[in-house]
Amino acid sequence: METDVILSVEGLVASFDTEAGRIRAVDDVGFRVRKGKTLGIVGESGCGKSVTALSIMRLLPKPSGVIEEGAVRLEDMDLLTLAREEMYHVRGKRIAMIFQEPMTALNPVHKIGKQMDEVFRIHFPEMANGQIREQTLSLFDRVGIADPGRRIHEYPHQISGGMRQRVMIAMALAGKPDVLIADEPTTALDVTIQAQILDLIRNLQDETGMAVIFITHDLGVIAQVCDDVVVMYAGKIAEKAGVQDLFHHPAHPYTKGLLLSIPRLDGPRKKKLNVISGMVPSLYELPQGCRFENRCPYAMAVCKSAYPKATRMNQGHTVCCYLYPRGH
Amino acid sequence: MAVYFFRRFLLIIPTFLGITIMVFVITRFVPGGPIERMIAQAQQMQSMPGGTGPMSAQDGRNQPLSEEQIEELKKYYGFDKPVMASYGLWLGKVLSGDLGVSTRYYDPVWEMIRERIPISLYFGFISMVMVYGVCIPLGIAKAVKHKTHFDNLSSIIVFIGYAIPGWVVGVLLLVLFASHWEVFPLGGMISDNFDSLGLFGKIKDLVRHTVLPVIAYVAGSFTVMTFLMKNTLMDNLSSDYVRTAMAKGLPFRKAVFRHALRNSLIPIATNFGHNISIILTGSFLIEKVFNINGMGLLGYESIVERDYPVVMGILVISSILLLIGNILSDICVAVVDPRVRFE
Repeated sequence: METDVILSVEGLVASFDTEAGRIRAVDDVGFRVRKGKTLGIVGESGCGKSVTALSIMRLLPKPSGVIEEGAVRLEDMDLLTLAREEMYHVRGKRIAMIFQEPMTALNPVHKIGKQMDEVFRIHFPEMANGQIREQTLSLFDRVGIADPGRRIHEYPHQISGGMRQRVMIAMALAGKPDVLIADEPTTALDVTIQAQILDLIRNLQDETGMAVIFITHDLGVIAQVCDDVVVMYAGKIAEKAGVQDLFHHPAHPYTKGLLLSIPRLDGPRKKKLNVISGMVPSLYELPQGCRFENRCPYAMAVCKSAYPKATRMNQGHTVCCYLYPRGH
Repeated sequence: MAVYFFRRFLLIIPTFLGITIMVFVITRFVPGGPIERMIAQAQQMQSMPGGTGPMSAQDGRNQPLSEEQIEELKKYYGFDKPVMASYGLWLGKVLSGDLGVSTRYYDPVWEMIRERIPISLYFGFISMVMVYGVCIPLGIAKAVKHKTHFDNLSSIIVFIGYAIPGWVVGVLLLVLFASHWEVFPLGGMISDNFDSLGLFGKIKDLVRHTVLPVIAYVAGSFTVMTFLMKNTLMDNLSSDYVRTAMAKGLPFRKAVFRHALRNSLIPIATNFGHNISIILTGSFLIEKVFNINGMGLLGYESIVERDYPVVMGILVISSILLLIGNILSDICVAVVDPRVRFE
């Protein structure tokens, strides 16, 4: 394994048992997260971004969610084969996670300070109460919560959404994690707060040197914060690339379509936005071949046969598409 | 918040007036009552051997009491005045702490109720401890082990208890455990030789008389509470903040008890005040089956016998308890849920 890789996911298959049978929400997903860098996972709702993140944490909803295959390696440790008790020391300590909905992600009946203290109590049982409070206050200060001495005595419903997301970030940082998974952390916030939270995550990353997995459906956010990008579509990886490569030389027709559908300031005014026609296939009846085939302007006969294998475009840029013959 | 509860307490007054006026008026218009009973009694006296003879008893229209006597009785019971006027008189007496006198036993109503309160409290309290003591842990276990054999089997048992009315459970228990196997006594609160028993013997005797009625009391109440607990806990277990707690590194068990449980107790707390009035008023059918002289039986008999002062007396006490119970529920909810602020 390359020395600068902190976390790698290989051949991950995650499924859900539903009333109508088992569906594969994530199929053969693999990527590497470099130390101190940010990996973005981008895709539309239901493409398996969040399921991938929850699989890394082994927090898929039970009993319906199952990881069928694959490996998640944190340095040399395979998280999927760890004993349950050992996983408790990984969550919150080595890998922390923040969620999309700051409104519901905090326990409504516990004070904020108490919820924050809990992380220290779990992972640093030797710390005294006074020390814990001190750490809580200094972390709150660090994530930009004004007047932390008063805030710790408040309940989640008494503070704003942006403030709650800062509390979540502070809780995630408390264990000094190697990897932070941010699952759409700014989606529920308005745009100015969104920018503040993105800045905060970036600054904290610079200070602590942690790696970040940033899950979003917003390509603008990807461009702002990510080093590497994984584009997912209907549970599969469509394309992986460095952020510059992806924006300047997108290879997969889906990625191209996405980039064309972003309004541009430098383009002609009142130009109609590009639309990717058609619908994402239902996870209940996935096609045999490429999952984007029914919406792809370049679809060929071969696209219906099987999901295309990854083609390497150049260093760190691979795409799963028959337009690019293997060995390119 | 204090203002809110003060207002709630003030609202007890009009609600109480509404309840009592309604029942008071109904008691005036339903057939039967003390005067008709007097007439019936007088008729019986006449028809008995040694009375004025069989002749007059056979004549249905023969009125044993004269018009004047009936008027006098009406005056005595306050039936000569318009409804609202006598309601006013009754209310005035209630406010001065006088619930009146039973028209059947001529005992003060308050004395009759006071005698029975400890019995109802005893069963009510034990039932409530049983219900909360069993339903909360059972609900938690069922939520955590959802769709396992344990969950399915306990659901079946609990639903059977729900489907059979409490007094039927009582009769079945009596037939099986008191008559067929003779493990428990047939009814009543204590044995005849209670006074001759030692302290330990007394406790044992009381417990033996308590087991079957308590089972009959609680059999039906398990279902609602157990499933309320199970379902709210399951909702909370799949909530985002439990996932956050797990993501912090908390073991599942601790996430359940520290985070999900308190949120799940909110609906249970809502029910709490309501149960207080049930404790005191009891269930007359179960009390009848087990021959227990509680409030439930007293209320039932007073209605059947048209003993209106007792009916009204029990109504006063149970409605005040229910109204206070509702406020207690609100307080309970405010205690467990910091988001609730009554303004």
